[in-house]
Amino acid sequence: MSYQNKDNMRLAKKIGEWIDRDKVIKFSFEGEDYTGYEGDTITSALWANGVKVLGRSFKYHRARGVLSLANHDVNILVTDGVDTNIRADVVTLQSGMTLKVVNTEGGVVNDKKKIIDSISALLPVGFYYKAFHSPAVLFPFWEKFIRKAAGLGVVNFNYPRITQRKLNAYCDVLVIGAGPSGLSAALMAASNGLEVILVDENQQLGGSLVYDRAGGNAAKEMLDELSVKMAETPNIKVYTGSYAAGYYADHMVPIVTAKGITKVRAKTVIAATGAFEQPPVFRHNDLPGVMLGSAAQRLIYRYGVKPFNTCVVVTANAHGYRVALDLLNAGCTVVALVDMRAEADRDQYVGELARKGVKIYSSYCVYEALPSKSKLGVRGVTICPFDEKNGTSNTANSITLDCDGIAMSAGWAPAAALLYQSGMGVRFDNDIQQFVPNSLPNGIFAAGKVNGVYNIKQRGLDGMRAAAAALQYLGKSVETINVDHHQGASPSHFYPIVMHPKGKNFVDFDEDIAVKDFINAAQEGFDNIELMKRFTTVGMGPSQGKHSNMNAIRILAKIRNLPVEKIGTTTARPFFHPTPFGHLGGRSFHAHRLTTIHMWHKAANAVFVDVGAWSRPAYYQKSGLSRIETLQQEAIAVRQSVGIIDGGTLGKIEVCGPDAGLFLERFYTGKYIDQKVGTTRYALMLDESGVIVDDGIASRLAEQLFYLTVSTSNAAAVYREMQRWLQIWQLNVGLVNVTGAYGLINIAGPKSRDVLAKLVDIELSEANFPIGSALETQILGFSARIIRVGFVANLAYEIHMPSAQALNAWKALMQSGVKEGIRPFGTDTQRLLRLELGHHMPGYDTDGLTIPYEVGAEHALAMDKPFFVGQRSLQIIAKKPRNKILVSFVLPLDYSSEMPQDCNLVIDDGVIKGRVTSVSYSPAAKCVIGLAYVHPTQNQLGATFEIRTDNGSLAKATIVKTPFFNAE
Amino acid sequence: MSTINQRPVSNTPIAYGLMSLSPTMGVINGMEVALEFEGALIEGNRKSILGVTDVSCFASFGIKGTEAASWLMSQSIQIPMNRNTWVEHEGYLVLRLGGSEFLIEGQYSEDQYSHEIFEKLARFNQATVAGVYKVQRADAAFILSGSEVLNMLSELCMLDLRDSALASNTLVMTQLASISAILLRHQLNGEQVYRVWCDGTYGAYMWNMLLEVARELGGGAVGLASHFRGTHK
Repeated sequence: MSYQNKDNMRLAKKIGEWIDRDKVIKFSFEGEDYTGYEGDTITSALWANGVKVLGRSFKYHRARGVLSLANHDVNILVTDGVDTNIRADVVTLQSGMTLKVVNTEGGVVNDKKKIIDSISALLPVGFYYKAFHSPAVLFPFWEKFIRKAAGLGVVNFNYPRITQRKLNAYCDVLVIGAGPSGLSAALMAASNGLEVILVDENQQLGGSLVYDRAGGNAAKEMLDELSVKMAETPNIKVYTGSYAAGYYADHMVPIVTAKGITKVRAKTVIAATGAFEQPPVFRHNDLPGVMLGSAAQRLIYRYGVKPFNTCVVVTANAHGYRVALDLLNAGCTVVALVDMRAEADRDQYVGELARKGVKIYSSYCVYEALPSKSKLGVRGVTICPFDEKNGTSNTANSITLDCDGIAMSAGWAPAAALLYQSGMGVRFDNDIQQFVPNSLPNGIFAAGKVNGVYNIKQRGLDGMRAAAAALQYLGKSVETINVDHHQGASPSHFYPIVMHPKGKNFVDFDEDIAVKDFINAAQEGFDNIELMKRFTTVGMGPSQGKHSNMNAIRILAKIRNLPVEKIGTTTARPFFHPTPFGHLGGRSFHAHRLTTIHMWHKAANAVFVDVGAWSRPAYYQKSGLSRIETLQQEAIAVRQSVGIIDGGTLGKIEVCGPDAGLFLERFYTGKYIDQKVGTTRYALMLDESGVIVDDGIASRLAEQLFYLTVSTSNAAAVYREMQRWLQIWQLNVGLVNVTGAYGLINIAGPKSRDVLAKLVDIELSEANFPIGSALETQILGFSARIIRVGFVANLAYEIHMPSAQALNAWKALMQSGVKEGIRPFGTDTQRLLRLELGHHMPGYDTDGLTIPYEVGAEHALAMDKPFFVGQRSLQIIAKKPRNKILVSFVLPLDYSSEMPQDCNLVIDDGVIKGRVTSVSYSPAAKCVIGLAYVHPTQNQLGATFEIRTDNGSLAKATIVKTPFFNAE
Repeated sequence: MSTINQRPVSNTPIAYGLMSLSPTMGVINGMEVALEFEGALIEGNRKSILGVTDVSCFASFGIKGTEAASWLMSQSIQIPMNRNTWVEHEGYLVLRLGGSEFLIEGQYSEDQYSHEIFEKLARFNQATVAGVYKVQRADAAFILSGSEVLNMLSELCMLDLRDSALASNTLVMTQLASISAILLRHQLNGEQVYRVWCDGTYGAYMWNMLLEVARELGGGAVGLASHFRGTHK
């Protein structure tokens, strides 16, 4: 059944390898059992078992194997249980993993969808846009088909909610990348006393020093030397297996680890992020067995795995020669080294390879990789002379070589995403065929390959140069270090693209994009890099162009006959690698506020509702009663006897000082300077355009002390606005927000006075304490403020006390009202009670455009004052006709059809004239009552209008006066 | 235990958060608070790793206004001279919140609880003092102790609170677990602890968040008795 040849590719132990051969790990892949070692990645363990068909491509379902082994491509995505799109190249092998390849039908080897590859000529980029655009009615069908055929892993909607910690960290220098440049930079910064954080996405430090050895030990010795120094330097905090996900303002860089995100705020940042190896482009360059040279090196030295048995190395730089030496060192037979350049003999390794019997073909290219019969691997390679200046290959003189793999080294692209995000300006360095930093923001430094430095010794020196610059930036006195400009041949080829009449020479492996797709895109007019990106989707796959963008730029430059620097680069956005939502979300910080009476509400079966940050009882559930029935019983208790509600959530603000009255006169629409101590006044707040923002009660408790209540959800905003205006007006006023410091209990109903009177030593009679009164007194031995209000009942009192005592006061009132049948009520009932009295509520019965004239609040406007916020707007608006007005309405007593709901529309002859803002059945009025906006011409007592209910039926409403019942 | 006045016993702002823990409760300064959760041994261990203690019962007095500083000095209360700093006197802390607002908090001591200061402050009448306004306080107040406190704070707060960044007499008004809070570093019985104050209506939320993180890091709830001998009577 399986093509997988199961050769044992594990090598003898390699010095410095990352695996622990004493710890065997069992796992399964595509239904078959395998073993690996602790420290293996999924891919390295499979390759060690001779399993080379590890994935299927996104679009054409072509067989795929290792490409970069570095998370720079997504050839290999697997599912393990509920988790999917696991990047097998870099995810560490775990015992018991049960792995399946994503995006296959019938398994990775026998994927039935591979048939798409055979018709790929019919499916060029842009095909979908044109073929399925019309008729539009069929698009959902095609969309479903395409989504099923393409796509990656299947999202499991039962995936458990796994959140990780999001931490904050700080340092003097953040060094990103722990290769020779990054290590050198970190050591130098730390040796000068700085606190350093060093981060690297690999599991161990060293970068290419770990694996790029050219068959020798020099790199390993350099790494050992640096590692010893690292161990001796305590002020470097190291994050391995972690990546710097993005750059944000003020040097904030989130570091993503397996266990969460650490947001590092650094004084300076050194990016030693290296470069992505870039594949040359030739036909069938995506077959399993064709991999980047650095990938082959990683397999050998990190995991002790032989990449191939017999191979060809195709290169366009010195690195390919080093790869060939490493392959020889690993026991591979290197059939040939194919150098695309004309002057290959400049490289120092030519002689050594020749001595070891490797035939070198200079000015040759790999014309195509020859697939095995099953198309699941490589059986050989066709090479032919190559004119690198013209990019043409001479197929007349082609040679076929047998091999089971190809190692590719054609160049590099800087891993500069974070530098771009920081605001780096770039220039194109023709000597190294790479974009390099031209200007960097303050406090940002680049070192190593990303800075265009490739010589191994110079890379270390460049790290120290960057560290010295960072030290100087931080005010330390250190000498400037200079680094030589690149000498010798370019590490990257200017155009490693080999044309083939049959195509399949892939540029972007994520999206199966070949060279002809770019040519077609340009012919269609998408010849700007950003447009081409979107038309072809190059760089838009999961690896975000890490292995493809640079070649795409080169191809477009050639198509347009422009230098590369004229093409420019695409935008590199965070995150550098995909990051789980659980990481991004972190722990849930859903802050909520509770009054000190909350425990009592909970015990009394309260059903809670969120009001802003507050959790408030909506009503108190009684067994056997529906919500509506419960609300009505609570309302009846208030109308007939006495009810009590926890109003501690209301905003409470003290306005103190000699100018307190003047301040309120400017802030609210009413008059307060002449307000008597011991009285209250309505407080209506507008914004500068005259729109209603909030309302409340202003109680004057002393000559220089007003006590304001504002609505629950607006408390913070009102206080903030008060502070803002106070800054502007510069009055002699002190503002104190005591919202949380004071509890508030509202006791309402005809017997509320009797209940309260038992607990206070003041005369509460109508004559002595009429509506609009306020005073400070004692209750249960602590001070309290009592205000006579009329929002939910004609007889009602607000009792304000230190919040720590609110529960005591609540219990005392409940006890005091036993005989009167006192009953708690919640916010839903409160809305009904105030509706019965005809009171509108800002936020419910108003919106972001409602002015006082539209809700009948003219009585609250002291237009004769010199100034209040919104006054000038009202003066202008007052001269204009209204187009809506809030009216109170009832439905017929025998109304039994569909119940209107808040926001149902008021319809007149099929035209929308307004909307319902509040509606409910009123047990006091014994009918359905409500408030609605209608056109001003409809506003006549006794006039009727129609409300369209949710089921489409029309309810006939009659405009009436409020209150809706005989409140006396 | 003495109290400032004879008010009814009040509830700590985090009372709702304590319900499921069933601690041994006691009344300190007129407020019912958790004295012990799991016993001295367990809580001693928690305290050394990451202990969270509710000290909302400590007496507090708030005041603000352009003349607040001079009025406090006229009452023989030494104040911090710089904004966002604090000073400790025998039995109480004085926190300067910004330039013109002060929070004075009594500290527990076995035999003296700074009665006189707070009795004097309680008599303050803002009607008679220009430019000074009382700030009614109802904070949830906490002690965070142990070796993992900074680990916890690195998750809950984005400011750098390490010793090198947070001077010993500096306080920060910041966001902790997404709500406004005051935080400072303090020496208590020879140990370094962190003090946190937040609006009492967020108290149960804050308590739960602190405990959630503390438990993950090997700590947990610590009663007042673990910090103050003599409270467990």
